[in-house]
Amino acid sequence: MSATGHDEKLAREAGEIARLLSYVLILIAAVGLFFTAAGIPTSRFERLGAGAFPKIVFAGIALVAAIAIIDALRKIPSGAYGRFTAQTVAWAKQRYLVFVTLAALAGYLILIPLLGFSIASFMFILGLELVLMPRRPATLVIAMIVAAIFSFGLNWLFAEVFTVFLPRGVL
Amino acid sequence: MESFLSGVAQIFTLATLIYMLAGSIAGIIAAAIPGFTVTMAIVLTLPLTFSMEPLQGIAVMLSVYVGGYTGGLISAALLGIPGTPSSVATTFDAFPMARRGEPGRALSLGVWASFFGTIISTVVLIVAAPPLAMFAVKLGPWEYFSLIVFALTIVASLVGDSVIRGMLAGLIGLAISTVGADPVMGRPRFDFGVEMLQAGLPFLVVLIGIFAISQLTSEVEDAESVRSGNALVTGAIDFQTWKVMKEVLMRPVNLVRSSIVGVLIGALPGAGGSIANLVAYDQAKRNSKDPESFGKGNPAGVVASEAGNSATAGGGLIPLIGLGIPGSAVDAILMASLMVHGISVGPRLIMDHADLVYGMFVAMAVASLMMLIVSVLSMRLFLRVAEVPKWLIVPVVMVCCVVGSFALNNRVTDLYLLGFIGVAGYALRALGYSLAPLVLGVILGPIAETNLRRALMTNEDPALFLTRPISLIFLIAAVLSIAWAIRGHLQHRKTPERNTDASAS
Repeated sequence: MSATGHDEKLAREAGEIARLLSYVLILIAAVGLFFTAAGIPTSRFERLGAGAFPKIVFAGIALVAAIAIIDALRKIPSGAYGRFTAQTVAWAKQRYLVFVTLAALAGYLILIPLLGFSIASFMFILGLELVLMPRRPATLVIAMIVAAIFSFGLNWLFAEVFTVFLPRGVL
Repeated sequence: MESFLSGVAQIFTLATLIYMLAGSIAGIIAAAIPGFTVTMAIVLTLPLTFSMEPLQGIAVMLSVYVGGYTGGLISAALLGIPGTPSSVATTFDAFPMARRGEPGRALSLGVWASFFGTIISTVVLIVAAPPLAMFAVKLGPWEYFSLIVFALTIVASLVGDSVIRGMLAGLIGLAISTVGADPVMGRPRFDFGVEMLQAGLPFLVVLIGIFAISQLTSEVEDAESVRSGNALVTGAIDFQTWKVMKEVLMRPVNLVRSSIVGVLIGALPGAGGSIANLVAYDQAKRNSKDPESFGKGNPAGVVASEAGNSATAGGGLIPLIGLGIPGSAVDAILMASLMVHGISVGPRLIMDHADLVYGMFVAMAVASLMMLIVSVLSMRLFLRVAEVPKWLIVPVVMVCCVVGSFALNNRVTDLYLLGFIGVAGYALRALGYSLAPLVLGVILGPIAETNLRRALMTNEDPALFLTRPISLIFLIAAVLSIAWAIRGHLQHRKTPERNTDASAS
């Protein structure tokens, strides 16, 4: 087997373990929510209460998740668990821009009510563009213009044309 | 005949045609923005029609409606983000086709399929409005529940690589739909004291988070490709208008079947474009000689989804005109606009205001023609989106998603929800879960629950689901659908094994 083929096999195994963890988490959540649904009081006006449909759904999730766990345990070789952490770190390092983007989005969503839509959007667009773009003077100018249009411009468009007022901020 | 001619005369005035043209353009642009639905576009149009003649106002709103169904195609094909819930299935094949270097063909296929879908639905509307309306009203909660069970079996053909993860995703979608007040008694469920969850998770925010944020985030996975200034879609920007028209017309069975599916689902109150595109896509895949190629850029998938969702526009008018029952939110707004003008909508509408009804039919056909012309002329402009580099489009579309989510209810908490669901959506995507069944579950969950409980409130006997003929037909169709899907998956698993055997020998 070539080195790339071996790496792919290791990555696939790590993926299977990550999926196994997701099945376990889903199973635990489904069982917990099933019991929460069982606690919803029923109405005397109907045969099925407000908790009946969720109970059916969460029982279904628990059943499928249990099958998925058994299937995944069958597929994963025992040695794969020891390599899981190293593989996950390598996967995350390769996709560091994803985490930067999601962190920027989280920061942006938190800042909107404080700074208002226009300023927060301008900072978010320009900041993320600076992280993602190839650094050239021309792209920097384009980035500034685009950030201004889709922050202050969009706010103006929604307020003046659609009479939808985006958050103004408290600061 | 006199009423028909009167309706035609009212539509073919310069002012009405100009307003309709503006409506088409507005509808296409609005729906192309992720999170900005056709319904929102129509709501914004409503106040503008107050000063118009009743038919003129309705014609403008129908133009926005028809244009909107097509606009959803643009972001679905070019960005892989459904602009509206009704274009979820369009992303399955149009986006891979655009990624393969044929963005022009993907858009053109969708536009032509939408045009023919609307025309077919208008013809059906004219011929079958009264009998179909009578049929739709006879369906009780038993039939609706069975219909939804049938629709849920579509999940089986949307599961992607793994049946188990597909089923889990569908069930998670159903679970998401149970958060908030229950749809029958209004009893709070799973809000855990968090105010944001008390009203339930808004479907549109879930859709944007799951599809748009996760898709945009996955675009930046390859740092080298992003930093080199690569565009989202590369390839020939060629709309191929007439060639693609022939390609669409060469699939008459798929086109007519998807349109009929759209009309029938549109005629059922509560259903609509969001379900029709998935059902039409599913039917096209099942009846295809090459189902394996669906999801990889098969033109039949684009035709089915777009013809299906556009045909619901005509289908939705059937119960509105026949019975005065709006089949969807958009139809309710159309009804409201008629009522503003003092016209009562109901079974007597076609008798008292025949010219208006015929005018609406003509307006549908004219609106679809306008949509086609506007699309053909402006697609080159929209296709420029494909040339925009990823580093520019990712932050900008994310801001559009934030605006779309906020404008829905004017709630800042919806934005936090968007971020949370976006992260969850990316995690599910990275783990290989298929996201389409999840969205289907969120759409169908409340309809399934409401009808199940309503049926058992009306009559406690659960056997009625099996003894009422139409309900039984839907349930049999559901069983057949599952059996068909299992057969397909087994065949799919055998084929690679055979290939492995062949290569080993």
